[in-house]
Amino acid sequence: MMTTQKLTLTAAALMAAPALLPSSAVADAMSDALAVIEAHREIPTFEAQGAPFDAKACMADKSVFSIPVSMAIPFNVELQKAMKRAAADVGFTYTTWENQGASDTWIQGVNQAIAQGYDLVDVAGGLNPEMLGPQLREASEAGLKVTTSHLYDESQEQADFVDGSAKVDFRGAGELLAAWAFVETEGKPNVLIIGSDDVLPTGPFVEQIQKSLSEYCPDCKQEYLNVPVNEWATRIQSGTQSALLSDPGLNYILPIYDSMTQFVTPALRIAGATDVGMASFNGTPFVLDMVREGTVQMNIGESLGWAGYAAVDAQMRTLCGLEVPETLGIPLLVFDAENVETAGVPADFDSGYGDTHLAGFRKLWGLED
Amino acid sequence: MSVTDNPQSSGARSAFSGFSLKREAERYALVLAWLALFCVFGAMLPETFLKWRTISSMLGSQAVLVVLALAILVPLTSGDFDLSAASALVFGAMFVAVSDVNWGWGVGWSVVVVLVIGALIGAVNAFFVLYFRIHSLIVTLGLGTFLNGMTLWISDSRTVAGVSMDLVEVVVIQRLFGVPLAFYYGLAVALIMWWALEYTIAGRKLLFVGRGREVARLNGISVDRVRAMSFVSSGVLSVLAGVLYAGMTGSADPTSGLSLLLPAFAAAFLGATAIYPGRFNPIGTLVGVYFLITGITGLTMLGADAFVQSLFYGGALIVAVSLSQLVRKRQPQNFG
Repeated sequence: MMTTQKLTLTAAALMAAPALLPSSAVADAMSDALAVIEAHREIPTFEAQGAPFDAKACMADKSVFSIPVSMAIPFNVELQKAMKRAAADVGFTYTTWENQGASDTWIQGVNQAIAQGYDLVDVAGGLNPEMLGPQLREASEAGLKVTTSHLYDESQEQADFVDGSAKVDFRGAGELLAAWAFVETEGKPNVLIIGSDDVLPTGPFVEQIQKSLSEYCPDCKQEYLNVPVNEWATRIQSGTQSALLSDPGLNYILPIYDSMTQFVTPALRIAGATDVGMASFNGTPFVLDMVREGTVQMNIGESLGWAGYAAVDAQMRTLCGLEVPETLGIPLLVFDAENVETAGVPADFDSGYGDTHLAGFRKLWGLED
Repeated sequence: MSVTDNPQSSGARSAFSGFSLKREAERYALVLAWLALFCVFGAMLPETFLKWRTISSMLGSQAVLVVLALAILVPLTSGDFDLSAASALVFGAMFVAVSDVNWGWGVGWSVVVVLVIGALIGAVNAFFVLYFRIHSLIVTLGLGTFLNGMTLWISDSRTVAGVSMDLVEVVVIQRLFGVPLAFYYGLAVALIMWWALEYTIAGRKLLFVGRGREVARLNGISVDRVRAMSFVSSGVLSVLAGVLYAGMTGSADPTSGLSLLLPAFAAAFLGATAIYPGRFNPIGTLVGVYFLITGITGLTMLGADAFVQSLFYGGALIVAVSLSQLVRKRQPQNFG
């Protein structure tokens, strides 16, 4: 496995003496992969994804009701906090439906939104609108707009009764994970990808990792392990151990959602495979702490503050009759041993990403010049 | 509802009344099935499955489930259910993580305090079951849900990483004969429990209470005290499983360990078909856990999909218990 220092040296060597590499194809793939990683190392700057509009005027008498998948999940708590901040910035009524992930409370939430005359009902943080199909159709018929926040990949079509979606670049994260594994294994990846097919964006996410790895290195090995979310605690460890034992050449593990890493770590320890690297996606604080401690080599983070503002941007465009851009430009940032301390010690959900999005969105919404 | 065994199927006493091929076949059927499974996968995957690394991985990875299954086994033996065991496990793991990482207690004190808390959890269960005469299913379900809330509260609903490496070292990194120490902790608990049930007065009393509370009471056994101690033991062992869980992962998260409850019950019921058939017993439970993980590991190595593992897990449980019942001429087991 390659350290960050070695990775930098490889980059320098590639630029200085490409002829030293075994073949130009490998060199091209390596420089492509390094370019993908380097593009996600910079603290992001805001780029407007849609046309500016007067949000205050358009949202003056509007109200939004958001149903997160579960407020027992810190990711959802932070996303909702950011969405509330954005709504307060513009000055419209924004309500979060506090729940603990039970489907009956989601249904109750939609009914409340209809009964209390909200203008838009939003399902957020991974809640699939298909699970509330009849209720959301009823809301739609009652004149409410329906949106999703942080669910679909940019390449996925939203359900037919959904009016607008704040989509996420899961494919971009997949491309980045593949590039990272390729570079870290010095162009010889033998990768175990761990995903959960019951989570909606897993399909395009895993597909992109597999596609990018095949492009970088058509002959390299890759294996996919599907573990449903409610079996993470019982199946990830045994599945990873079995994969490591049946293929001792396995040299990198990509658990695509970073809360999976806590179950991969004991598998590596028990199987004695402590030299096998691991990289993931989500930027969850405890995993960023694991990056700082060296248990995980890299974690792709996305600013939840930024994602919350982008989600509110999509909601407002839906309510104001404007087109919702396909990409909301929420940046993905590489956190590795080199820069992980910028995410806070201990890490939190929103540090290390800069704050250019705040002024950017305010300008886009006509709140400041 | 109580969990009582059919006295006619008793193992311990009748074990001395002469050799019976049928009874011996029944006792060791699961062990033989385990060996057969091992041989089948060994023949199919000779290069990988028969390696010591594979065996040590299987042994080392199941300690948490073994200890949790042994925890629920104590009240099952005395005729009570403890549905709060997995919640106590998760709370125990989270308490160790939070007190060590966030409060700075140091892992030694964290473990000592959490074991005391485990005993308290058992005592609370016992108090409500025995004083108010409420069924154990209801009380332990309620306390389990309460503990889930406590776990979310103390953790702020977050996963806490960075548990002391001292704990991780003594659980999963240090090895004996290439097997992580966690395996030996589970084995030790099983052997101690077996010895206690077979050779101590307290253990025999527990078995008598499980067989028939009224008969035990008329024979001068303090049934309430025995049942109370079974809940306390379950509480302590559940949080011990939580300590091992924190040591395994080096972290604690507020929900995922809850999914271990059903596998633990599956292992306990599967274990009741072996060694002392018709009776919950620790060695049978140990065999049950490793029978299941052998199947899961082999299937995963063969590249089976996730759903095949669930089919094996659920199917093996039903087939084993059904075969055991056939051998017992379908005598009712009175699990209710």
